[in-house]
Amino acid sequence: MSSINEKFTPIRKGLLEFLVLKIVSADKVYVADILRELSGTEFATQEGTLYPLLSKMRREELVDYEWKESEAGPPRKYYQLTAKGREQLREISEYWQQISATVKSLGQKPAQ
Amino acid sequence: MNKVIIINLNGNAYQLEENGYEALRAYLDSAARRLEGNPDRDEVIADIEQAIADKFRALMGASKTVVATREVEGVIAEMGPVEDASDTPAAGPKGAAEAPRAAPDAGAAPGPARRLYRIDDGAMLAGVCNGIGAYMNIDVTIVRIVFVALTLAYGAGALFYIIMAILIPSAVTSAERAAASGAPSTAQEFIRRARAGYYEGMKTFGDRRAYREWRRNFKNEMRGWKQDMKREILQNKRQWACNWHRHWGGRPYPFFGWWFAVPFLRLLSALVAVVCLFSLVSLLATGAVFGILLPAGIPVWAGLIILIVAFQMIALPLKFMRHAMYYGSGYDPVCAGWLHFWNAVAGLGFIAVVVWFASRHSAQVHEAIRNLPHEIHSAVDSVRRWWARQ
Repeated sequence: MSSINEKFTPIRKGLLEFLVLKIVSADKVYVADILRELSGTEFATQEGTLYPLLSKMRREELVDYEWKESEAGPPRKYYQLTAKGREQLREISEYWQQISATVKSLGQKPAQ
Repeated sequence: MNKVIIINLNGNAYQLEENGYEALRAYLDSAARRLEGNPDRDEVIADIEQAIADKFRALMGASKTVVATREVEGVIAEMGPVEDASDTPAAGPKGAAEAPRAAPDAGAAPGPARRLYRIDDGAMLAGVCNGIGAYMNIDVTIVRIVFVALTLAYGAGALFYIIMAILIPSAVTSAERAAASGAPSTAQEFIRRARAGYYEGMKTFGDRRAYREWRRNFKNEMRGWKQDMKREILQNKRQWACNWHRHWGGRPYPFFGWWFAVPFLRLLSALVAVVCLFSLVSLLATGAVFGILLPAGIPVWAGLIILIVAFQMIALPLKFMRHAMYYGSGYDPVCAGWLHFWNAVAGLGFIAVVVWFASRHSAQVHEAIRNLPHEIHSAVDSVRRWWARQ
């Protein structure tokens, strides 16, 4: 199991951006929300990975953030998708559908 | 009593134990280095500092004002290593020429820095071999075979195992378990970087200015990594010393087992010494060791030196183990003194008995003792002649 886990490391890494787009698209979230949503899944990650990723996505104008006061402690950055991010998410989702359809169809006996 | 250092994390003041401060600084330094060249570097660092500050705040209470080293390490493990997300796509548009550099970068596994832990899952005893296997990235079976071989040889493997089982912490939390087989340690990363850097350097071949530029950057980077590595070694050392003290320190007297372990080790060394003596004797008396003749052209005295050196190599580890035990006796001079005394009695007594027994029952020993002065003379002569020739 662990070797499969290792083999898929680069794939999981590549998919992370897609998943973050998905999570951010649902609601305005801050980093702890994203971490929590991912924590139970195969894509569990850490702040050390997420912050640089978010800053890159912001640079590419896929997400944007605004400061919001929190009940306890200093204001937090809440992230949301930009129009470009929404477009990107739609494209990636489509592409993902294609990929999973391909994965499913390959290696099956052609129907007689 | 620990020194406390007050730090400012993105505008929040926290008091940290000194070792914790060092660990945190190392983490942030390496984060800054990973993000070098990233236009948002300062912002990401600020985000990370803020996240760390939030975690520290959660740990603090009305009566708790200092963040302990252990807690700092926990928070760092929770944060995970900082990876520059823009590394991977940047390699794409620049074309195939960049491929050799991008490939090793992509190979670096994400996850926490690798550290040596005992791993209980699938362990046969305490998980020492398991942990070493994961750390060095080799099959655990090989590690086990090495340990068994060492144990068969002089019992060294078993003792080494026991010492390791005490010194190495067990991987308990999931973060620790991940670290046991996590990303390569700074040392390995250092080597990988050095290799990748040389690749880059080879491309500047023929262009003097580019080469000079590369060399400067490369040196700078390597210097940074060297610092990182030093810090990591220091950190590991501190942790091991701490484990050692927790187990052995503070005991006014060694527990009962010492009184067996010390003479046992002594007897092992004595046995090695006897085998050594026996081969010396047989070399002096017959010119052969265990039936193996010295190669032609090598004088007997040179053979003696080779034998002594060879046996020293076997005896030294045993000696170090004994010394570790004195060290572990809690630095109590009286107690360590007794251990030394006990050790000396066991050793000398053993050798005296063997020599007495041998001289009574073996004509060879008589022969050797009679030959010894002559051999010493010839050794001195050889050295003198060699010296005169210089």
